[in-house]
Amino acid sequence: MGTMANAKVAAIPISGGGLDPKLVETIMASAPQTSAPEAPADKTASDAAKPGGSIEPASPEPETVATLSLRDVARALRDAVRGLLKQVTRERITALVLACISVGAMFVVWYLGTKYRIEFYIRFKNVPTPSEVMQQAVQVGLSTKFLINIGYSIRRILLGFAIAIVIGVPLGLMIGRYRRVGDFFMPVVEILRPIPAIAWVPMSIMLWPNNEASIVFITFIGAFFPILLNTIHGVHSLDGVLIRAGRCLGASEFRLLWNVILPGSLPHIFTGLAVGMGVAWVSLIAAEMISGQFGVGYFTWEAYSLVNYPAIVLGMITIGVLGLVCSGIIRVVGKLMMPWLAFAPGSKK
Amino acid sequence: MMEADKGHIDVRNMGVVYGSNASRVVAVKDVDLNVKPGEFVSLIGPSGCGKSTILNIVAGFAQPTSGEATLDGKKITRPSSERGVVFQQYSLFPWLSVRKNVEFGLKMAGVDPHKRSVTARTLLDLAGLASFENHYPDQLSGGMKQRIGIVRALAASPQVLLMDEPFGALDTQTRVVMQEILTNIWQQFRISVLFITHDIEESIFLSDRIYVMTARPGRIKAEIKVPLPRPRSAEMTDAPEFIRLVHELKGLIREESLAAMGPEIKDRGLTGFGMKIGPEGVSNIF
Repeated sequence: MGTMANAKVAAIPISGGGLDPKLVETIMASAPQTSAPEAPADKTASDAAKPGGSIEPASPEPETVATLSLRDVARALRDAVRGLLKQVTRERITALVLACISVGAMFVVWYLGTKYRIEFYIRFKNVPTPSEVMQQAVQVGLSTKFLINIGYSIRRILLGFAIAIVIGVPLGLMIGRYRRVGDFFMPVVEILRPIPAIAWVPMSIMLWPNNEASIVFITFIGAFFPILLNTIHGVHSLDGVLIRAGRCLGASEFRLLWNVILPGSLPHIFTGLAVGMGVAWVSLIAAEMISGQFGVGYFTWEAYSLVNYPAIVLGMITIGVLGLVCSGIIRVVGKLMMPWLAFAPGSKK
Repeated sequence: MMEADKGHIDVRNMGVVYGSNASRVVAVKDVDLNVKPGEFVSLIGPSGCGKSTILNIVAGFAQPTSGEATLDGKKITRPSSERGVVFQQYSLFPWLSVRKNVEFGLKMAGVDPHKRSVTARTLLDLAGLASFENHYPDQLSGGMKQRIGIVRALAASPQVLLMDEPFGALDTQTRVVMQEILTNIWQQFRISVLFITHDIEESIFLSDRIYVMTARPGRIKAEIKVPLPRPRSAEMTDAPEFIRLVHELKGLIREESLAAMGPEIKDRGLTGFGMKIGPEGVSNIF
C-alpha cells in the first residue's frame, strides 16, 4: 500500500469487543463518539462540500497557513459563483431578446401580409388582421359561451389523459417487467399504434353511446400510446443492478415494482406524458372539429362555417395557449416529482 | 453478541456452464469454499475467472449447473435480505436521498419510519456521512457512494455480506482509505464476509483467509490464511508477514493472469515480447 495508507481513519471505538449487528441500538449508544473524518481522496461535489459538517475533525488547527489557504479558496469560490451568475443573467437576457425578436417577426409578417393583402401563392386576402383578432378576443373573451367551450375542451383532455395514465403506466410497467405479458400485449399494440387517433373518429362515434364519451376516447387514444411505449422503454432502460440491489434488500416483487421499477422509470414516463399531452390536444381538436358540440376545436370550425374569420385565429391562439399551459404543468410536476434529476450526470451541460 | 452459528456459507462441488454445444463455456469447475461465521474471506483471481459468477450464485441471482451453495445449511435459491450485497457498480437508488437509501432494507422489512431513520442516521454516522443524509447519490463522490452501499447492505441486518469488487471503480488513494474504513466497520459488526477482488494487497489487508482462483475454467488453486492480528491498521502493510504474503500471492496470480491472456502469452512468458521499435516505427511489423 502506498503512502496514502497513512492517512488516518479515526479508529472506531469498540465497546466491549464485538457488537450485535441486530442491535443497532447498542451502536447508537456509542455513535456520538464515532466519526470518521472525510476521506481526503474523496473528490466531493462542490455543493456537497459545505463547511460545518459534523465530519470535520474536532481538533482545531491554529496554523495560519491553513486559514489563509482556506480564505483563498473561499474567495476563489465566490468569484467563480459571481462570474457564473453574471454569465447566467447575460445568457438569459440574450435568450429573452431572441425570443422577442422571433415572436415579433411573426406578428410583423402577419401584420404586413394582412395590411397589404399580399397574394403571392399564399393568399392573405381573407386572413383577419391582428387588430381584428384583438377586437374579437375582447368581444368574445369573457363571454360565457367561449369560456364554456374552453371548459369542455379542458375537461375532455383531463379525462382522456387521466385514463391514459391510469391504464398506460401500469400496463407499461407490466409489459416492461414480464416478458410473457409483453408477448401477449405487444402484437395488439403494434397493430393499433400506427392508426392515428383521428382515424378512430368514425369508429369511436359508432362505439360509444354519446358524443362526449367518443371524444374523450379519441383523446385517450392520442395520449395512450406515447405514455405506454415510454413507460416500457423506461423499465427496459433501468439499470439491472438497481433491481438486484432491491431484491437482496428484501423487496418482494410488488415492492420492487412500486419502490424501484416505477421511480426508476419516472423520467421516461414523464417524457411519455409530455409527448402524450401534445398528441392528446391534436386528437381532441380534430375530434371536436368533426363531431363536437362545444370545445375550442368546435368553436374554431364553427367560426369557419359562419365566415367569422377573426374567430378562427382566436380559436387557434387559444388552442396554442392551452397546449402550452398543459405542457408547462407537466414539466413543473415532473421537476417537483423528480428533484434528483437536477444532479443527474448530464443535467448540467 | 453474534450468534456463533449464524452466517456460515458453504459452496460444494460447484460448477457453472454457460450456453450449450458449440458455444459451451465452462465458467467455474469443482469449486469448494466456505466462510465460517464472523469470518472475512476473499476470493481472488484473474479477470474472467468466474469469481463474480460464484458471488452471484451465493447471492441467489443465478443457479449453478452442478453442486450447491448453502447458507447455514439452507440451499440458496433466490436473493434474500439475509445475504447483503455490495456491488462493483454504484447501485444506490438515484431517486432516494442518502438516508432513504440506507432505510430501504428496513422499509422492506416493515420497520416503522421513526426507527428506520434513527438506525439509518446511526449507520451513516459510522461511515462518516451523517451530514450528507439529505443529499442525493449523484451529488456524492464514488468513495462516498460505496460507503453508503456498504452501510445500506448492513442496515438490513444480513447474516452475511457479499462484496463484488466494491472498490474496483475507485482511484488508488480512495481505495486504500476505503479499505481502512471497511475493516473498522467490520470490526464492529463481525459479520461473515465473502469479498471478491483482484487486488492482492486489498485481500490480505482485509481478510482472515484468501482463496486463489485459476484462470477459466475457474477452480480453487490455493487457500491462504492471513495470520495478521486484528484489528488491522495501515501500518501492518509494512510488516514482513504482509510483504511475504504479497509475494506469495503475486506468484500464484501471475501464472493465472498469463494463462487467462491466452496460451501464446503463457508460453512466451511475456519476456518473449521484448520487441524493439526502430526509427521506422511499428509499421514494418505488420
